[in-house]
Amino acid sequence: MYFPALLYPCILGMLSLVHGIPIHPDNLKNLVKLQADTIILRIKDYNDKLKLYPKLLIGDPELYPEIPADKTIQGLGSIVDTLTTFQKVLQRLPKGHVSQIRSDLSTLLDYLKERMTSMHCTSKEPANGRSLDAFLEDNATHHITVGYLALDRLKQFMQKLIVNLDQLKSC
Amino acid sequence: MSSLSRRTLFIVLALLVNFITISQGLAALSLSDGRGGVYEDLKWKALLCCELPFAQTLDGGLSEHPPVGQCRLLNATKPEFSRNCLDILCWLEGERTNLICNAKSHRAAAAASLLTVRPQLVVQMNVLSDETNHAAQCAGEETAMCSISLHGNDTTVSLTISISLNETTALSPKMQVTTHHLRRPDPPVNLHYNVTTEGEVIFRWSDTQPDSYAINYEIRYSFNSSLQQWEIVKVKGRSWVPLNDLSSGIRYMVQVRCQSHFNYWSEWSQPFHFTLDVSYIPAEVFTTPGSEVTVSAVFHNRSWSASKAVWMLNGQVKIPESQYRVINEQVSAVTVTVDEPGFDTLMCCHQWGERFKCIIAYAKIYTEGMFNADITCQSKNSEVDIMSCEWNKSAWAQVTLLYRQYTSMCETISEMEGSEEAEENMSLLKECPSGAGDHRECTLRNLSLFSCYKIWLEVEGGRGKVRSFPVYVAPIDYVKPSSPTVMEATTLPNKTLSVSWRRPHLPVYDMQYELRFVALRGMANTQWKVIGPLLESLAEIQLEESCVQFKVEVRCRRLNGSGYWSDWSMSYTSVVYNRKAPEMGPDFWRIIQEDPVRSVTNVTLIIKQPVLAGDPYSCVEGLVFEHQASGRAVWSNETTLVQFHLFQWRKEAHTVTVMSRNALGISTRNRNITLLHQPKRRVVRSFSVVANASCVYLSWSLLSDHPVPQSFVIEWLDLNKDPEQDMSLTERLQWVRVQSTSRDRSLCRRFYGSEEFTLYPVFVDGEGEPVRYTATRGDPAAYILLLIIAFLSVVLFVTLLMSQNPMRKLTWKDVPNPNKCSWAKGMDFRQIDTMENLFPHSEGLTACPLLLVSESICEVEIIEKPHPVMLEHEKDNEVLIYNSGDKTTTDSALLADSSEPLSLEAATAAPTPETSGQSSVMYSTVLLSDQPSLLRKQQESLSSSSDEGNFSNHVCSDSANPRHSSSYNSVEEFSETSDQDYEASESTGAAKDLYYLEVNEEEEEEEDEEEIEETQGEREKNETVMRVDARPLLKGKDSTAIDSNNISHSIPLYLPQFRTECINPP
Repeated sequence: MYFPALLYPCILGMLSLVHGIPIHPDNLKNLVKLQADTIILRIKDYNDKLKLYPKLLIGDPELYPEIPADKTIQGLGSIVDTLTTFQKVLQRLPKGHVSQIRSDLSTLLDYLKERMTSMHCTSKEPANGRSLDAFLEDNATHHITVGYLALDRLKQFMQKLIVNLDQLKSC
Repeated sequence: MSSLSRRTLFIVLALLVNFITISQGLAALSLSDGRGGVYEDLKWKALLCCELPFAQTLDGGLSEHPPVGQCRLLNATKPEFSRNCLDILCWLEGERTNLICNAKSHRAAAAASLLTVRPQLVVQMNVLSDETNHAAQCAGEETAMCSISLHGNDTTVSLTISISLNETTALSPKMQVTTHHLRRPDPPVNLHYNVTTEGEVIFRWSDTQPDSYAINYEIRYSFNSSLQQWEIVKVKGRSWVPLNDLSSGIRYMVQVRCQSHFNYWSEWSQPFHFTLDVSYIPAEVFTTPGSEVTVSAVFHNRSWSASKAVWMLNGQVKIPESQYRVINEQVSAVTVTVDEPGFDTLMCCHQWGERFKCIIAYAKIYTEGMFNADITCQSKNSEVDIMSCEWNKSAWAQVTLLYRQYTSMCETISEMEGSEEAEENMSLLKECPSGAGDHRECTLRNLSLFSCYKIWLEVEGGRGKVRSFPVYVAPIDYVKPSSPTVMEATTLPNKTLSVSWRRPHLPVYDMQYELRFVALRGMANTQWKVIGPLLESLAEIQLEESCVQFKVEVRCRRLNGSGYWSDWSMSYTSVVYNRKAPEMGPDFWRIIQEDPVRSVTNVTLIIKQPVLAGDPYSCVEGLVFEHQASGRAVWSNETTLVQFHLFQWRKEAHTVTVMSRNALGISTRNRNITLLHQPKRRVVRSFSVVANASCVYLSWSLLSDHPVPQSFVIEWLDLNKDPEQDMSLTERLQWVRVQSTSRDRSLCRRFYGSEEFTLYPVFVDGEGEPVRYTATRGDPAAYILLLIIAFLSVVLFVTLLMSQNPMRKLTWKDVPNPNKCSWAKGMDFRQIDTMENLFPHSEGLTACPLLLVSESICEVEIIEKPHPVMLEHEKDNEVLIYNSGDKTTTDSALLADSSEPLSLEAATAAPTPETSGQSSVMYSTVLLSDQPSLLRKQQESLSSSSDEGNFSNHVCSDSANPRHSSSYNSVEEFSETSDQDYEASESTGAAKDLYYLEVNEEEEEEEDEEEIEETQGEREKNETVMRVDARPLLKGKDSTAIDSNNISHSIPLYLPQFRTECINPP
C-alpha cells in the first residue's frame, strides 16, 4: 500500500542524481576542444567577411586591456572569468551572425561552470566589469572594429585553451 | 480739528510706513529674488510684523467696523522682536516634492518663556502655486505650517498671512517664493569633448536649464581608477574648457559641478569617461555622390607622426598618399571623393614597419542618394506566406530592412513612386523583425501572396540616413514551390523509363517540370541527364539499354511568369520490369591475397557485369554468393550488382557459386570456383606472348596426357591505372576467360610492354598450375630507326664489296695518320706486314675509326650453354633490349628476320635449372618439359642456330659504322651494359672469352686470361665453340663465301678494332 508513495521519491531522487552527474573530465576535454575548434572556425569565417587589408593590425595587445588579450590560463576559474568577459562583449554587439558565436560561447561557459560546481570551485566576479562597460559604451559606435578585435582575441584564447585542456582539472 | 489733523497725520505716517515697507520689500526682492524674504541655506526667510488696531480701538473708542491692522516685511536677517512679528520660513521637502512654509510669532517664544496667559494670536497662511494653481491653507495659534505639492516641478509660490488678535486682523502683503532657489543647482549634463583640427581637446558640458543662474564651474578629472588624485580646473562664465596635457591610451574620468547665484554648488556630474587615441574630425560625414570629403585624424599618441599616417577606405583599400595632407605633427587629413551612394568608413592608421597599426575608431561617410543593395527575395519552401530576402551590403554598415505593403499591383506602384515618397506614411512601414546587425537576409512573415511589397534598406547615422533603391516584390512572382513527389519510375523491357510524379498543392498556378535521371550502375561516372520542361506530371524516356535501374528526381516551377525552380525531389530508384528470373549467373574470377598481419587469406571475387543486352525480360538486379566449405554448411550472401565480393578463405576446399537474381528468382546456370590449397596439377606445356604496338597475342599448348581444363583465365595487371590512386589490386587486375578449346588469344588494348600475363587452367575441381610471362617491348621508333640503319648498312656493304680496292685506298686516306698515335711511335709502317709487328702488346690499342673490308669480316662465335633461367637475368635483358635498340643485335635480328618489333623472354612460373637453357640474346620461346635434358638440347640447337643467323646477318650489314653497329657492338656493348648482371652469366662470359680466344688463338698471353675466367665446363663448351667457329659467320645466311685463309690473313689488320677502348670504354 505504501509502495507507490515510497517509489515516487526514490524515482525523483534518482532523476535528480542523474541530472547532477558531472561530465567525466576526459569527456569534458573533448567537448571543450570541439566547442573551441568550432568557435575558432566561426570567428575565422566572421572576420574573413570584413576582407580587411592584410597589413592592418587593429588593436595592439597593449591597447584596450578591457578585452582580455593573451590571458594566462590557471585553472577553471580563470577560464570562466575570461570567457565571461568575452561573453559580455559579444552581448553588446549588434545582433547578427555574431549571435551564433555568442551561443556557442554560452554553451561552453555553461559546461565549464557546471564543472566548477561539481569540483566545488569558488567563482568570483570579473575584475574589470565597470571599465569594460565603460569601454563598450564609449565604443558603441565602432562595433565593427570592436567585434573584430574581441573575436580575434577570443580566437587566440580558444587556441590557448585547446593546448591547456589539462587546466580543466583544477580550479 | 485735532482729531482730523491727527487722522491726517496717521494716514501720512501710514503711507510713509507703507512706502518704506514697500521700498524695503522691493530692495529685498532685488537682492534676494524673493519678494519679501531672502534665500539662505536652501531656505526662504522673511520677518513679518503687523500693527494690530488693538491700541487704536482703546484710544479712539468703539468703531462701527472691525479694525484692520497693517503688516510689513522686515529684514529677516535683523530680527526685531515684537509681539506681533512672525518668522516665516519656507523650504523644500524631498526632491521638489513639497514646499513647506512655517510662520511662527514671536509671542509664541515669549509665552513659552514667561508662562503667562494671554490672548492667542491666530495665524492663517494661504499658499498658492502660480503655475499649477494648487493652493493650501492652514491656520494655527501663534504658528502655522503649510505644505503644498510641487509635483516635481519648479514653480513660484505666492504666500499671504493674516493674523488675528482680539477680533482684530492684520493682513500681510503677498509674498513670493521661487522654489528653484530653494535647492542646489543640478549638475551639468551632456559632458563631451571635441577635438579641433589643431589637435586641441575641448571639453564641453551643458546646464540642466537654459536660464540657469550658474556662474562658476569646477572640472575635475582623473585617470584609471585612482580617484584619489584629481586634477581640478575652475571655469567662470562658460561651459567649456580646453584640456591639455592629456595622454593617449589612458582612460580618463571627468566630472563637472556648477555654482548658482546664491553660491550653492551642485553635486558633481555623472562621470564621463574617454580615452584619447585617434580622433576624427568630423567623425560622421554626410555628403553627396561626387563631392569631395575631407576628414582629419588627430593622433593623440605623441609617438605617432602624421607623416606616417596611412588612410584606409573600408579597411580594405589603401588610399593613395597623394590624397593625404599633414596639418601638423599630430594631425593628418585626407580628401576622398565617393562616387556611389551608400556607406563607407575611413580609418587612419600608423605605419609600423610593414604593417599598419590601427585603433578601433573610424570615421563614417554617408553618401546620400539611393544605393544598389541588390535585394533578392524568394519564398521559403512551401510556406508561401513567408518570404526571405537577401542583399549585399558593406560589412561595415549596420542596416535596417524596411518594407511596406501595397494593395495595388507592383507595376502601378512605381508610377506612383514620386508622390508616395513625399507622403510616406511611417505608420505603414514595418521593420525586419529579425533586426539588422550584420545580417544579410531577413525573413518576412504573414505576407499576402498577391500583394505588392516595397522593400529597401536604410543605414542610419547620427545626423541622417541613406537608403537603398527599393524593390517591388509580389510574393507570387518569387515563390519557390515545394518539390514534386515522384510516385513511380519503372525501367521497361522496351528500353523505356516511365516516370510519374505529383505536383505540390500550392501555389495553385500551372507548373512546368524538369526531370533528371542517372543510371545506378557505374556510379563513378555519374552524370545526370536532364529532360524538360515538361508540362505533364509524367514522362517516358527512351533509353539506350534496358535492365538498368535509374535514380530519378523531379523539380517544378511556375509555368507562366517569374519564379524559382523548386529543389529537386527526393531521389526515387526505378523498378526494373521483369517477366522471369535470370537464366545465367555472371562470370567471375578471384584474387587471393595473403594478409601476413592477421594471418588470413582474403579472396576477392571480381564480377563481370551481366550482359544486359540479353533477355530484357529477365534483368539481373543483384547477385547471390553461395559458399560451401568442406565439411561446413552452405551459406549465401545476397547483394546488389556489385563488382567485388570479399571473403576470407581458411585454406580448405572452398567452393563459391555466384548467381544472378531479380525479383522473380535466381539464375539456374551458374559458374562456380573451387579454391584448393593442395598442390596444383601442371597441364600447360608452353606459353608464349608476342605483342606489337596495339595487341598482344598469347598462345599456349598443353601436355598431352592431362585432362583438358574447363576453361582458361588470362590475368594481367592494368598498368594504365595509377597504383597510388587505385591502391586496391582488385582495381588494377584485368582478366579474361578463354574457352577450353582455345589455344591462343589476342588482346587488343593499350599495353605498356611490361605486363606480366598469367595463364590459369581452370578445372571443375580447382585450378591448375599457372604459367606466367612478362612481355617486353621496345620503342617502335627505335626499331624503325634500326631497320633503316640495317638497310643502309646492307647497301654500304654491297657497295664496298663492289669497289673493294678503291675503298681500301679511300679508307687509308680517311684513317688518321697512324704516326700520330702514341702506340705507333717509332714504327715504320711501310715495313710492317704482320699483326705481331704492329701490336707488340694489347694495351697499346686505341680507338680509331677503321673500316672493315670485305675480306676481314669479323668472326663471332656463339656459345649456347644451359644455365638456370633467372628472373633477374630476364629483367636485365629486358632493360637492355628495351633501352638500347640501336645497340642490340637481337633487335636488329628481329627486324631483319621477322619484322617483329618486340622481343619477348619467357620463364615458367616455377622454373628449374634443368628445364631451360637460354642464350643471352634469347627472346622467343621457352618450353616447359618434364624432360629437361631433351629440352636443353632442343634449346641449344634452336638458340644457337637462331643467334648465329642473326649475328651473321648483322655483322655484315652493320660493319660500315662501328658506332652504330648492331653486330660486334652487340657483343661488346651488350656484355658491357649488363656487365654486372652478367657476371654470373656464363654464356655471355663464354662468348666474350671465345671472342678473344678467336682473336688470339695463337697467343699465349690471352690463354692466361682464359684460364682465370673459365671453368672447366666452359672449356668444354669452348671446345664445342671451336667447332662452330670453324664455320665462317656469314656462311649462315650470306651466300658470299669467304676463304678462311683470307680471314686469317686479314684479321690481324682489323681485329684489334673489336677490342678498342672507344667502343667499350672501361
